Amino acid sequence: MAASNHIETAAAGAGTGAVGIALVIAVELIGAAFLRQFLLVEDWRIIVGMLGVFCAALYVLQSRPALENRIAEAFSEHRRLATLLGAVIVLMFPFVLEQSTYALHLCVLSLLYATLALALNFQLGSANIPNFATGASYGIGAYASALLAVNLGVSFWLALPVAGLVATIFGFLLGLPSMRTRESYLALVTIAFGVVVHQLLNNLEFTGGPNGLVGIPAPELFGHNFASPLVVFGYSLPSQANFYYLSALLVLIAILFADRLHNSRVGLAWNALRADELAARCQGINTTWYKVLAFAVDAFLAGFAGTIYAFYVGFISPDNFTFLVSVTIMTMVIAGGMDNILGVIVGAVLLTLLPEKLRAFSDYRILFFGVTVIAFLMIRPQGIFPQRLRRYGG
Amino acid sequence: MSTLVLEGEGLTMRFGGLVAMAEVDFKLNRGEILGVIGPNGAGKSTLLNIITGIYKPSSGQVRLEGDKLTGIPTHKIVERGIARTFQSSRLFGDLSVLDNVIIGRHVHTKCGVFDAVFRRGRAQRELKESAAIAEDLLKAVSRELYEQRHRPAAVLPQADRRRLEIARALASEPKVLLLDEPSSGMDDNDTEALITDIRAVCAARPDLAMIIIEHDMHLVSTLPHKVMVLDYGEKLAEGTYEEVRKIPRVQEAYLGRKAVENA
Ligand SMILES: Nc1ncnc2c1ncn2[C@@H]1O[C@H](COP(=O)(O)OP(=O)(O)O)[C@@H](O)[C@H]1O
Ligand SMILES: [Mg+2]
Repeated sequence: MAASNHIETAAAGAGTGAVGIALVIAVELIGAAFLRQFLLVEDWRIIVGMLGVFCAALYVLQSRPALENRIAEAFSEHRRLATLLGAVIVLMFPFVLEQSTYALHLCVLSLLYATLALALNFQLGSANIPNFATGASYGIGAYASALLAVNLGVSFWLALPVAGLVATIFGFLLGLPSMRTRESYLALVTIAFGVVVHQLLNNLEFTGGPNGLVGIPAPELFGHNFASPLVVFGYSLPSQANFYYLSALLVLIAILFADRLHNSRVGLAWNALRADELAARCQGINTTWYKVLAFAVDAFLAGFAGTIYAFYVGFISPDNFTFLVSVTIMTMVIAGGMDNILGVIVGAVLLTLLPEKLRAFSDYRILFFGVTVIAFLMIRPQGIFPQRLRRYGG
Repeated sequence: MSTLVLEGEGLTMRFGGLVAMAEVDFKLNRGEILGVIGPNGAGKSTLLNIITGIYKPSSGQVRLEGDKLTGIPTHKIVERGIARTFQSSRLFGDLSVLDNVIIGRHVHTKCGVFDAVFRRGRAQRELKESAAIAEDLLKAVSRELYEQRHRPAAVLPQADRRRLEIARALASEPKVLLLDEPSSGMDDNDTEALITDIRAVCAARPDLAMIIIEHDMHLVSTLPHKVMVLDYGEKLAEGTYEEVRKIPRVQEAYLGRKAVENA
């Protein structure tokens, strides 16, 4: 009797294990297939239909918390499988895009925005600091690396860390007023910073004024020029694929940063600050320092993204880094899910693709974009994937 | 043997024309519990805010083991060994119960951004240690609370929220613990349980000194070694509960106003 009981529980355990594995594989494959279709489709009716399906899926998740928990559980149980499969999907993705340079271009942009959104998430998501200057840090990174490359012939690989450093220094400077100002004023300070940066880029001589900087050379790696097609096992991918893999790597770095910081003393301190600043101070947290730190980490990653962008398009101007860019990044974090890495990435991808895919609506594009974001937020008020509690080894 | 831990001297706090605290002195010895009572607006919370550096007093100073605290930022004062709870509980509501206590250990941990990103092993080890200590602390304060450690703090019932706030404050291993109206919003049963909990906390930490602000006279009559009465920011009296409650001015300030309130 006892023995048969034992066998039964073992079987049940294996059963849920298998279901978990199937769930992880299904979710990832369906997600990838959906994204591929969304990237390639041109008929606006199908696009609207797909958005409808997505909203319906969100609705199901929202109305069935048990299902959501089951999926989340499966992913944390089979974390290794989920990561591995995710990596394979990301690596294989350019091969299933039917050589479409436009689809690949959108992927690169999505990945860059995912990095920017992850960067801002340190502030907005973890610490609830409204920073409207991520676009400016993005621009500072882009301009710093482009200036180095155009004027001094510095290679991409050296320009990247330098631009990250320059952006971080500016991030620190921007963070300093946060020592003195309160939340709503802080938002104003960051808006002002963004405007000042934009104006400077527009008016300074060495940044090329409104014309920007041209002729930024494509990076090279082991003699392979990033402007030429990428040949893998005799299969040729458009040149955008080079930057696809580069920005995918950047997103990976951003994820590592985000995950490690989130599950550390620093992430906890940021969360404490978000929940109640005074109570945080009374736990011995130097709230001012942690705010400045969040600015610096945000700027560092944004600077990286800016560098890749500059070398990708080869031409930058102040209008690539406006206030609107900052607001878009903010929307990605909020709609995706504050303080949830996956949510922020999904939000970034979705909101990068949306305006492009809604081109059929021409003048009503932005209107439709706004309506869609509002719909997401109405269905999932906490974002597509809301923040989850930390677990310590079960 | 009594050794002085915390003392305040000539503490005065003015907000514009309002004098919230006037020339208040107090002394607190190791292992001692000081009760602070007084009607609403008497300046009790102001006293705690001065001690913890949230308010900078207009004049006077606070010393911890002889070192001046006045002028030092709040987070440094916590580091020196003063922890507190709040009158209207201020938990990190969207974090788990356990995370709340782990955050209370902030001053005993060190990992910064660099460690977290590039020396993951070290950062993880430190956090695991904190988590283990936090779990033990929760277990010691209340078994029920421990069972709920993975739930968000915001969903706890009132009495457990108070307990959690005390556990979080204890996590910093303070020399002095300041409790601002810990029994507010509790019924008699909860208050009784709270008294038992505080006794257990003290028994496990014989050196811990405490200031408890209270309205509940049962609690004030049982826990504190001595009681200080504040009214309009002034110290009306100080002594044991039995001594203090017989003083006519105290009865007038306290009971008189109570009677008016009830009318
Ligand atoms: N930050 C502040 N600004 C202005 N007045 C304050 C401030 N903090 C407290 N007060 C005033 O000081 C007096 C004492 O308040 P408090 O210490 O909170 O009283 P209680 O004894 O009820 O805790 C009250 O009149 C209150 O309005
Ligand atoms: Mg009070």
